Amino acid sequence: MAHQAHAYHMVDPSPWPLTGAVAALLMTSGLAIWFHFHSTTLMGLGMALLLLTMYQWWRDIIREGTFQGHHTPPVQKGLRYGMILFITSEVFFFLGFFWAFYHSSLAPTPELGGCWPPTGITPLDPFEVPLLNTAVLLASGVTVTWAHHSIMEGERKQAIQSLALTILLGFYFTFLQALEYYEAPFTIADGVYGSTFFVATGFHGLHVIIGSMFLAICLLRQIQYHFTSEHHFGFEAAAWYWHFVDVVWLFLYISIYWWGS
Amino acid sequence: MAARLLLRSAFRAASTCRAAPVPALTRGMAAGGIPTDEEQATGLEKAIMKAMKEGADPYSMMKPKEYAGSKADPHLVPSITNKRIVGCVCEEDNTAVVWFWLHQGDAQRCPSCGSHYKLVAHQLPH
Repeated sequence: MAHQAHAYHMVDPSPWPLTGAVAALLMTSGLAIWFHFHSTTLMGLGMALLLLTMYQWWRDIIREGTFQGHHTPPVQKGLRYGMILFITSEVFFFLGFFWAFYHSSLAPTPELGGCWPPTGITPLDPFEVPLLNTAVLLASGVTVTWAHHSIMEGERKQAIQSLALTILLGFYFTFLQALEYYEAPFTIADGVYGSTFFVATGFHGLHVIIGSMFLAICLLRQIQYHFTSEHHFGFEAAAWYWHFVDVVWLFLYISIYWWGS
Repeated sequence: MAARLLLRSAFRAASTCRAAPVPALTRGMAAGGIPTDEEQATGLEKAIMKAMKEGADPYSMMKPKEYAGSKADPHLVPSITNKRIVGCVCEEDNTAVVWFWLHQGDAQRCPSCGSHYKLVAHQLPH
């Protein structure tokens, strides 16, 4: 075990980075094939390979950290930096869509009627389902913090309950948002309003689903006794990601739903 | 209405957590059901945890100790073999690092600033 004089983790050779890269290639070229030749086979194959890669890569990380003890303090610090940098990159990703929204909405062109919302668009009432969605996500932020404190204080039952509640709230948000999408009086094809609305909220919804999945994995791990009261970085990373998703929603709500209506 | 119910239950749940006393002396599997590192850490993480409790730093995680560098108080350089490379930054902010092999035995001096360095044996926990 300790045949090294340092506390870092020299990872064993792994095929998952290669399979992940191949999956990315198959998905992108598959997308092009779908656009031009109406076949989704290649893209589907790429997606399947991506799912297998994610499952096996992250399973290996759990094995290395929880079961083999490779996640020493310096290694954990590196993982923290990694998650923070990743979330920062996602912030910039959303910044782009907010830029697009404000570019079009601050100076609406004559083609839109010189106004925002553009002529003919009936925006959603921000004080109906969108406000409920805001309350749901804020509540989920409370429950995930409750879960964290439960873990730190060694309260297994409360940790499981609060984490499960967080995930349910996440699903509730997704469900409500899906209903909104179905009932909306405008579509993505309705000019720049439709484009900015659905691309920004759509990517946000995707991130809610990703965050819910991450939290669900944490729930399974918590049930299986993976986390200790001092060392539970997987959970902390999921909680950070969840708070990020919540903050993005708040900006979306204020900018697009409220100011933009 | 659904939102208000949810919010209410969330706040009630959160305040219940605060109301419950934290059993300080009976943590971990015995009490709340979540293991502690003491109970469950394994491998290198456990070895480091044990060593740090005794104040040892076998994997050199901490900054090296500061020494005067004089003959009476040489820089002590731990090594798992009988020699180790030393890089001396003679004065603060120097960009030219003076590299040399430090061998077991009498203290050696940096060829540039003359600071004393002495190799000391360093055991890895096995």
